Amino acid sequence: MGLVLVSHSGTLVEGLRDMVVQVAGDSVSVATAGGTEDGRLGTSAPRIAAAMRSVLGAGASDVLVLLDLGSAALSLELACEELEPEERARVRISSAPIVEGAVLAAVQASVGASIDEVMAAAEGAATMTKFAGS
Amino acid sequence: MAEVRLLVIDPAGLHARPAAKFVQTATRFTSRIVIRDDGREADAKSLIALLGLTIRPSSEITLAAEGPDAEEALTALAAELAPYVSAAG
Repeated sequence: MGLVLVSHSGTLVEGLRDMVVQVAGDSVSVATAGGTEDGRLGTSAPRIAAAMRSVLGAGASDVLVLLDLGSAALSLELACEELEPEERARVRISSAPIVEGAVLAAVQASVGASIDEVMAAAEGAATMTKFAGS
Repeated sequence: MAEVRLLVIDPAGLHARPAAKFVQTATRFTSRIVIRDDGREADAKSLIALLGLTIRPSSEITLAAEGPDAEEALTALAAELAPYVSAAG
């Protein structure tokens, strides 16, 4: 079980990966695809495909992908088309908010949960209480 | 149901890192385990539920477990939280 974090910003996903590893431990592999190939803000289908393959190739049974905004979804769709069908079958995509979703998913994965349970944990990020009161 | 009461002394409350470790430890046990804070209760095996409690410094929390390994679970969980809590009066 691994995670791929897709963002317009490399800095964002590198920082998020640090945070995920510190909170959940290093038992879950986390790959990032942030920014374009020439280092600008944006998303890149080849970089996303490479990140997914790196996690799958490292022995993860499944990959959960989290993404930020807008065209990240389009690049992700294109990246999925680059994958072989047997690779694509092991990839799930979450609409969860990327920061909370990544942390929750990684902790769930770290206790040996199934991909469905990890996916459900990430989805819970959308409605979790972050600040009691107002 | 076995219970242990603890006072949160960490100035940041029960924040993300200890909460995640707590959930990882809780998941190793088969007992049903809950954490209670100020009348609210969360499943100790769910990080979303636990973070949703937003446990603050000086909160008095209760860990409660029911099942075949309840006592063992509470001992392990209290040890996990040791740097962040003290025994509640």
